[in-house]
Amino acid sequence: MPEAGSREAIGVEISRVTHRYAPRNGAQVTALANISLGIPRNQFHALLGPSGCGKSTLLYLIGGFIPVQEGEIRTASGLVRGPGPERGIVFQNFALFPWKTVKANVLYALAQRGSRGSEADQRAQHFIDMVHLTGFEGSYPAQLSGGMQQRAAIARTLATDPDILLMDEPFGALDAQTRRIMQEELLGIWRASRKTVVFVTHDVAEAVYLADSISVMSARPGRIQQRIETDFNNRNDPGILRNPEFVDTVEHVWELVRAEVDATKAGRAAA
Amino acid sequence: MSGAVLPAPVPAPNLQRLRQAAGSCVALGGLLVFWAVAGQREWIDPFLLPPLGEVLQRLLEDVQFGEFATNAGLTVYRTALGFLIACVLGIPLGIAVARSAALRWFCAPLISVGFPMPKIAFLPVFILWFGVYDTSKIVMVAFASAFTLVASAEAGMRGVDKVLVWSARGMGAGPVGLFFQVLIPAALPQIFTGLQIALPTALITAIASEMLMGGAGLGGAMLQAGRFADSVGVYAGIVETAAVGMLVVAAMARLRRGLLHWHPEFARR
Amino acid sequence: MRVASRILPVLLVLLLWEGSTRLGFVSRAALPPFTVVMQALAGLVADGSLWANAAKSVPRSLVGFAAALVVGTLLGGGMALSRPFRTLVNPLVQVLYPLPKSALIPLLLVWFGLGDTSKSVLVFLGCLLPVVLSTFNGIAGVNEVLVWSARSMGASRAAVLWDVLLPAASPQILTGVRTAIAFMFLLMVSSELVIATNGLGYMIGALGDRGAYPAMFAVILVVSALGFAADAGFQAMSAHWLRWRE
Repeated sequence: MPEAGSREAIGVEISRVTHRYAPRNGAQVTALANISLGIPRNQFHALLGPSGCGKSTLLYLIGGFIPVQEGEIRTASGLVRGPGPERGIVFQNFALFPWKTVKANVLYALAQRGSRGSEADQRAQHFIDMVHLTGFEGSYPAQLSGGMQQRAAIARTLATDPDILLMDEPFGALDAQTRRIMQEELLGIWRASRKTVVFVTHDVAEAVYLADSISVMSARPGRIQQRIETDFNNRNDPGILRNPEFVDTVEHVWELVRAEVDATKAGRAAA
Repeated sequence: MSGAVLPAPVPAPNLQRLRQAAGSCVALGGLLVFWAVAGQREWIDPFLLPPLGEVLQRLLEDVQFGEFATNAGLTVYRTALGFLIACVLGIPLGIAVARSAALRWFCAPLISVGFPMPKIAFLPVFILWFGVYDTSKIVMVAFASAFTLVASAEAGMRGVDKVLVWSARGMGAGPVGLFFQVLIPAALPQIFTGLQIALPTALITAIASEMLMGGAGLGGAMLQAGRFADSVGVYAGIVETAAVGMLVVAAMARLRRGLLHWHPEFARR
Repeated sequence: MRVASRILPVLLVLLLWEGSTRLGFVSRAALPPFTVVMQALAGLVADGSLWANAAKSVPRSLVGFAAALVVGTLLGGGMALSRPFRTLVNPLVQVLYPLPKSALIPLLLVWFGLGDTSKSVLVFLGCLLPVVLSTFNGIAGVNEVLVWSARSMGASRAAVLWDVLLPAASPQILTGVRTAIAFMFLLMVSSELVIATNGLGYMIGALGDRGAYPAMFAVILVVSALGFAADAGFQAMSAHWLRWRE
């Protein structure tokens, strides 16, 4: 496991985090067991694993939406104690305010940061243009397709200028073609802004394509089974998906995940 | 792909709707024709089903001489005031119940007990407490509408998708801003649905109260007509009441469209 | 434990009632203490008047309700399955829908007088619409792929109706029936307060006119309890019938 490095280089530092919950009709469940993970600043990091492995829970803990029970999570701004604009989040079902137009949604984010008036208006337009939604500022979410709604959600989150971008299977609700386009666009945005991204997905190819580094998580109780560095410099080459090294990596990671999926099926708790 | 919006609506559905409306008009017209003919030929005892012409004439007279305005006005006034009181008291209560576990523990059983009660049974109590004039009717209307309003306000608040709240908090929203700018708009569709259900209830209750207590108002006038065997008056009253009912429902639907124009239910697909 | 915590608030309210009236915060003329009301109730049970009136109210209302269920489901189903039928019946629905059902009370007085029939018909007319609408929406709203699957397996139209459409529509239909139950009680009480010579609603009015307020409150509580029990019982049955729904 790579060292955390100096404080300034920290994106997200997770130390010995354990999370348990008790469902209504059963014994206590350990969702995450003693997770420690250091994500350097500006890294695009994927949390990959089978359903129920706790990757979304870990994301919500980083976001501060669920309180940390055991262990601690730190960012460059200090200990995580609750939600905050330096950790922006994008959800799978977009979470746009349906009663506001696209622009109004983005303006809302800017208003929380104290930006108002014509300055805010210009900045909102900037982000809307960045996600290629120019011309749809005045549309309501119900009038937009899934892909467009997700772009709007991303624009809104980017408008708070977060250091860290948390993404919870953001393309899961989109069809395969839209998903691929959005993946490419997301890479473009990330390269331009160089934020730290923590990206939850169960799609192996997506993780290998997008991320610099992947934490493959084990089935419940969730642990970091292995960390894979995926260093493809030529990611913006459309032929990357046929690159043999890329394909091998995908296969390798898939084998790791499949072992975990089988483990879940067999009901064995990972050692 | 980014440029593509939703396809334009196919013309056929609109044509279909037109055909349906036409069909309904024909069916309704047929009914009225049957009524007119039955009255003329006296297929049915004219006391039970007075001729359409006489009913129409009475309707005209009611409008002309102000009877309709007076009665409808009174009924609507009592309904509206009672309903308003129920809104002002009930909706904040419902919101508070959704936010406070203690309040919820106390109020939820009371609401679920009170909901299925035929609240009109309490009318004699309100007469006892508030006399025989408007106050008792208004209180009765308020009491009858309140339960639905509290329940739907509570459900609306509880039903707000938590990712909306998390997004807002993630953007740095404070508790007050969160409440007014996120929770209330998100809960509004369901709260408004509650209003749309409660208002007809308020109208039914007002009319029933008027019938019991007599006096002016659509209910009182109709019952008086019934007691005096004035069946034409009864029919005219029903038509007038139906008209008021339709106006009320239509007005609420219009208001919903205005307030909730952003909601997916109105999206052109 | 759960049941106890649900009853506790109600008990607290009753306690408040008893306390405030006994201690004089609330005038006893306006609100007799709970215990006094219970005593009056015991009296009504003992002299048989409660039972006699209930025996008049309930059967005639149930008749109207049952008829509304049968006719309503047939109408609603017919509307969902046959477009010409729907075009024919729809205007009646559209006209009746915004009409406050209590407005029909004087009309039924004219048609049937003060006897049992007027109550039954009123309940029938009032409960009809919720059942028609919920049956229509329920059946029309069934996902067509369910029907297609069944037909491709060789099911006849009748079998599709019975085995697929009705079960799939049942949650919505049952919701409509629940509304109809509430309307039944509402119309039963309303009509008996206004155009009756017997029955529980009439009893409330008569006791009030006589000034027998504790007894009046007692009957009101009985009627409320009946309404609550009917609703709770129906919900329990619905939960059982719909237990396939996760």
